[in-house]
Formats: sequence, structure tokens, C-alpha cells
Amino acid sequence: MTGPLVPFREIVLKVHSRCDLACDHCYIYEHADHSWRTRPKAITDEAISWTALRLAEHAKSHALPSVSVILHGGEPLLAGPARLRRVCEELTAALDGVAELDLRVHTNGLQLSPRYLDLFDEFGVRVGISLDGDRAANDRHRRFADGRTSHPLVLRAVELLREERYRHLYLGLLCTVDLANDPVAVHDALVALAPPRIDFLLPHATWDTPPARPDSSPTAYADWLLAVFDRWSAGGGTVPVRLFESVLSTLAGGPSLTESLGLAPADLVVVETDGALEQVDSLKSAYDGAAATGFDVFTHTLDEVAAHPGVRARQRGLAGVSGTCRRCPVVRSCGGGLYTHRYRAPDGFDNPSVYCADLEALIHGVEKRAAGALVPPAVTDPGALLAEQHELTRALLASLHRELDGRGGAVWERAWRLAVALDGGPLDGILAHPYTRTWLHHTLAALAEGRPGAVAGALALPSYLAAALVTAGERTPVAVGYAHGLLRLPTLGELDVGGPAESGEAEVRAVAGGFAVTAAGRAPRRVALDGRPAEGWRPVRLVGGRDGAPPLRLDDLDPHRDCFGVPVRPRLSERESAEWDRRFTAAWALLRRYAPDQAAEAAGALTTLTPLAPEPPRDPAGTPMLPDPAGTPLPRDPADPLALRHPAGTPAPRDPAEPPLSGRPPTHAPGVRGHGYGALGIALPPAPRELAMLLLRGFRRAKLNALLEVSDLYAQDGWWRHPAPWQEGEVPVSGLLAGLWERAGLTAFDPEGADRARRALTALASAPELTAAGRRLVAGLGREDAARVEERDHD
Amino acid sequence: MTLQTTASFAVAKKNRVPLAQLDVRSGETAEKLARILPRTAGRTLRDSTFNSAL
Repeated sequence: MTGPLVPFREIVLKVHSRCDLACDHCYIYEHADHSWRTRPKAITDEAISWTALRLAEHAKSHALPSVSVILHGGEPLLAGPARLRRVCEELTAALDGVAELDLRVHTNGLQLSPRYLDLFDEFGVRVGISLDGDRAANDRHRRFADGRTSHPLVLRAVELLREERYRHLYLGLLCTVDLANDPVAVHDALVALAPPRIDFLLPHATWDTPPARPDSSPTAYADWLLAVFDRWSAGGGTVPVRLFESVLSTLAGGPSLTESLGLAPADLVVVETDGALEQVDSLKSAYDGAAATGFDVFTHTLDEVAAHPGVRARQRGLAGVSGTCRRCPVVRSCGGGLYTHRYRAPDGFDNPSVYCADLEALIHGVEKRAAGALVPPAVTDPGALLAEQHELTRALLASLHRELDGRGGAVWERAWRLAVALDGGPLDGILAHPYTRTWLHHTLAALAEGRPGAVAGALALPSYLAAALVTAGERTPVAVGYAHGLLRLPTLGELDVGGPAESGEAEVRAVAGGFAVTAAGRAPRRVALDGRPAEGWRPVRLVGGRDGAPPLRLDDLDPHRDCFGVPVRPRLSERESAEWDRRFTAAWALLRRYAPDQAAEAAGALTTLTPLAPEPPRDPAGTPMLPDPAGTPLPRDPADPLALRHPAGTPAPRDPAEPPLSGRPPTHAPGVRGHGYGALGIALPPAPRELAMLLLRGFRRAKLNALLEVSDLYAQDGWWRHPAPWQEGEVPVSGLLAGLWERAGLTAFDPEGADRARRALTALASAPELTAAGRRLVAGLGREDAARVEERDHD
Repeated sequence: MTLQTTASFAVAKKNRVPLAQLDVRSGETAEKLARILPRTAGRTLRDSTFNSAL
């Protein structure tokens, strides 16, 4: 496999190779591998020192922010406190100043005592314990060699960890599944011990040594785990369960959280007691020596192990699973299951999991049960989408306050207190202004980059508050800064209060029919808010508001409106503004006639139109780049106004905002497209029909952008490309959904586009990257399409 | 009618955390902001994915 090495982030350090229990389901001692017999019992001093050295070397060369070291075995506590102290001391010293060291130990708990826990407290080693449930469940496998129960000793260890002095070290409980145990009893027994976290393991098995299935059901393990899920949910789901968290994460488009699920690359290496470097030790269930690499800490770097073919094989993501798995719609969540569970002699690991049917049933079962949490109301309820968007803007304002951390001085503190007082009242109106979001984005970015003027930018807050109070007719005066003689009130307009070189503060206060401004050393001035300009006063004008068209602000003044990737028009003349009004009202009449539902929703969501420059830029081929009213300029094929145009023979470009392997939608750089929901930027076309299409297309895109900001519609892992019916080449799922979404909305004006949309719908329905929320959105489009077809056939 | 006058908007408004108490560094609010703000590099501990430990 080519490509850069995946650095190790987790090291499993076998500090002892023997165990004081004789669990009959143990993969170390009871399965195919026998290497433990020849290993030294305890980790050697030399192996400890070299491990610390190799780890620090690896962390430094890859600039790792953190590494986890899991003390393991056998039973790690058999190494004794002195040896464990040495391990902790050497690792801590080696990683000091290099990377955060996250130390953990996983134990059967039998030897756990204050002597160990005080040591672990000193080095911050957190403790996980194996426990298979209540006594009956635990006794099924986890016994001493002479058959005695270990349960009381494990409970004693857990009780120690629950004491206040050690509670911060309590990691959680790890439970191996056995179908003979009652899942509800197991769940209740584990939860009763108040663990911070639980996980359930499928017993190690391969196609050659398949798991026990007492009633031959192919989904018996899924049924068992779903019974636990139901019990867990009924109890509020308050104890995190790693297995469930992983499935819920991937169903929401995020990464998997355990090596037993998902497509995340394995970044784990094992150091044995003799310093041998091995692959993940669950491989020991497959065949004797399956985990061996031939490397050791004395002679080899961790990079050499990272380049081992066996290690690389588990980092290939989608390419590393079997063909059957690659075609499976749940592969993002399942990932082919734990690597070792795929083994079949002699062909190896290129198979689905021996638990395939269980994993599929588990994922579908979790998705069905968690549909409410996985599909936010914003996906189906326009009012909820607006509310979520509003919350985002509030959170950004709170974030700005936090980031300023006092640097805004008395001016900011006064404004912040006023904002807090207006929260839930007039503040809502001004936060709903789309360019308020842009101001917040710009200012936060400037602060993060330490740009001069960043704090001054934040001090525009009073102007927003003054505008809010004036709009609400509340007469609280606000001191608003002005510069270059210009006082700006977002959503309302701008007022000349002095000469071009003058700056200062002016008091702004609502009065009947408008507001009053008193700048220092000047007589108060009253401004009427009747939409008409006056001496030195340039109001934000409205369009629409009659004949069924909603009243929208025609904002050609807000300094933050320049966020569409295409130049904005400077201030329109009164004649130009009137022409905008006339064409907009006519266009809206067309929208109401041909797309009444969307017109109604758009009327509730849109607040602001911003005129863009009339001459769109052209791409190198000379094709006009008509701006996307929601913000991204795109080349258009003159024969198909909705088709993306690319030079012949070149593949469709990747979405420029596509993040690497994040499993989340793209984050847009502020200043290019940072405005809130409700604004469209449009270069006014001559005919109302064209304007109607631009408004509708713009609204469709704006809504999809807004949805992507508040919900996870798809993962962007980068493994899949899809054919798009409207162009040559393949596109990522983001492009397919965006194209479908737009065309589905425009069928009223472009009936031929409906056919392309339908084909895209079929392709998307089985796209593995769609989250549960994305699938709901697409299903909604499918229902709308079916309704249109029925109506058309009826006519 | 604007969407701000819908029932769902009203319910959301009633249930929201006051501005002064929004915790932007953790929890639900931080997760929401992570979708729209550039990710900042920082030292972060991540949970273990090792199957045989927590």
C-alpha cells in the first residue's frame, strides 16, 4: 500500500504475560496462538526503557498531540507495584514536553489494592476492569484454574475504584457477551456498579472456529445486544456504551470509536514482555503467530512496524474490507467488524465477519431505535431549522464574548450586559439578520489570527443592539461608535454624523416613527424610518410586501454583505431599487403560481436580498460564472442552466470545502460564505421568470447549506464517488445531494430536470455515506417526486 | 408569517439556555459550533479504540 504511514496513537504494553485467572474464553491462552508460553513473565527493564524511547521518538517525528499507553497482559498487576512504577516513570519522563501521555491499565481486578491505586493516582493511570455481568454470568467463564469464583474479588476492586479518593481513576467495565447470560441482568449488574463507561465484546471467533449459536439464529448476538440497548435506553442511556456510541457516531456521519467497528485505520501496536512488537493481539484467535511482525523495540523503530504489510492491511479503509463488505450499505458503521473475526484458513482475512448478520442487524436495529435522536427536527420542520440556525448565531455571540476575555474593555462589557438583558426579546431580531452571523465569523477569525483591528471589529456590537432596540421601538439609549463620520445601524441604514476623518460615539435612541442620534458636540438629529432617504441618511430599502410577495430587505449597505464570492453592487439608486421591487414582486407571483409550497416556505425563511455585480466573471473557457445566490460561483452550461460545466475530459473537481476524513460536512471559510440563513445574493436578471428561478434555486441552496450547518446529512470520508446524471465524471455524495436537492426543487420551472433528479435519487438511496438524517431528507424528496408523478398522471 | 412565529420556533425559544449561560467550550453548544467554525489544532486526548480494554 502506498501513502504516508499512519502513526500509532495507542500502544498496548504487556507488562506481564501470565494471568491469575483461567478464563476459558481468553484469546491469549485458550485460542490458536501459543506464543505466551515462551515470553518472559514480566516485562524486562530493558524493554521498558526502549519502549519509552521508541514511543517518544515516534511521537516527536509525527508531532502527535497525544498517545495512549494501555498497560495490559496477561494480568498487568502481576508485574507488581515496583515494576509498574518504573513503567510509569520512564514513559512519563520520555513523553514530557513531547506529547500528552494518556496512561491506562486493564485488569481482572483481583490484585487491585490501595497500594496500586495510589501509584496509579500519582501517574494518572486510569483503570478498566473485565466483568461479564452478575455473579452467574461472570462465573460462566471467569474463574480461577481450580474452578473458584472470582466475582467477589472483582466486586471488591470495583468498590475500591468507586471510593471518592480513587473515583477519578475509574475507567469502566468491559464485558464479553455470552448468549447464555440474560442480557438485561448483565446490563443491570454492570450499571449498578456506576461505571463511567461500559463496552461489550463479541467472543473471539473465526469462520474456522465460529461462535456458539445455541438456537442457530444468525442474528442471536445482535438480538442479545439490542436487548441490552433497549434496557439501556429505557434507563436514560446515561452510562456511555462504546459499542453503541460507535454505531450512533457512524450513523450520524462521524467516525467509528472502536477497532471492532467501522473503517477507521488501526493505529495500535503491542509491545510484548520481551520487547517484541506485534500487531493487535486479538489476531491471536486466528492462528499461531498471527500477530507477529518480526520487529522489536531494541532494534526497530515504530515506523518500521507501521510499514508492516499486516499493519497496513488494517488501515486501508474501504479498500481493506472484502468485496461483499464494500458493496454493503452499512459498511461505514460495520467496517467488516473486528479484523480477526474475518479469518478463514487458508484465504485469510478477505471475508466478511463471522458475525456479519449480527452486525448488520445491530446497526439497523440501533438506527431504528434511535431515529428520533439521529434525525433532528430541523430536517423535516422549517421552523425548527430556523430555531437551530438562530441558536448557532447566539452561540457565536457567546463565543465572541469568551474569546475576547476582557480585551473589549468597558465598551464591550457594557454592550454584552445589554445583549444579555435583551436576550429573548429585541436581540432575537438582530441575531436573525444574516450578516450578523458574517460579522461574528469575521471577528472571531480575526481574533483567532491575532489580526490588528480584531477587537475594534467586535466593538460594533452596540450598533447591532441599537438597531434591535430601534426596530422594537424600545427607548433605551445606546452609545454607538462611528468611524469616518459614518454611523451604521445594521438592517436599518447608515447616517453621516461627521466629516470623513471624524470618529467617536453617538447616542442612539428609538423615538416615535424612527430614532434620534446625538453625536458629541452636535445637535440631536431625528431620523424617520419610513424607507425614504434624507439628508445624510441612506436607509436599507424594502422590496415586495404587496401582491403576495414577502417584504424583504434589499441590503446594499451592510459592510458584511460581501460574502457571496462575487462582488456586490454598491448602493443602488432610487430608480434601481424601484426596478428591483417591481421585478421581485412579479417574480414572486410566478413562484407562488408554479411552486406555491416552496414560495410559502421561502417567504417564512428569507429576510434579505443583496444585489450582486451585474457582470459575472468568466472561467478560462469564457463561460459566464453565474453566482450561486446562496454563495458559490459555478460555471454553467448554457444548454442546461443547472448543469455544472467542466472542461471536457477533466474529472469533476472535488468539493473545495471537503474536509479530510472528518465524517462531517464542510466548514466554510468566513468571508467567502459566512452569512446566516435568510440571505440571497442576486445579480438582477432582466426577466421576472429568470429572477423567479434564481430566487428558487437560491432558496434551495440556502436551505441545504442551513441544514448542513445544523445536522449531519452525510459523511465525507472520501472513499466513494458517484455518477451524476447531469454531467460527466463522478462526484462526492455532497455534490450528488446538492444537485438532486436543487433540481428536485426546480421541477416546476424545469420539468426535464425531474428525470435527472429521479436518477440521482435512485443513486443516493443506497449511498453508504448518507446518515439517518440524510436518508430522511432524501426520502422526503422521493415522496414529493411520487406525489408529482401521481398528480401528473391524474391530470 | 415568518418561520419565527411557528410553534416549533416558540418551543425552541422557551427551552433555550440564556445567552450568559451558554457554555461554548463543551457539550451540545460546542458540538453545534464545531460544524461552522474552523477546527483549531490543539492537544487532545482521544478515547482508546483497543477492543480488549477501555
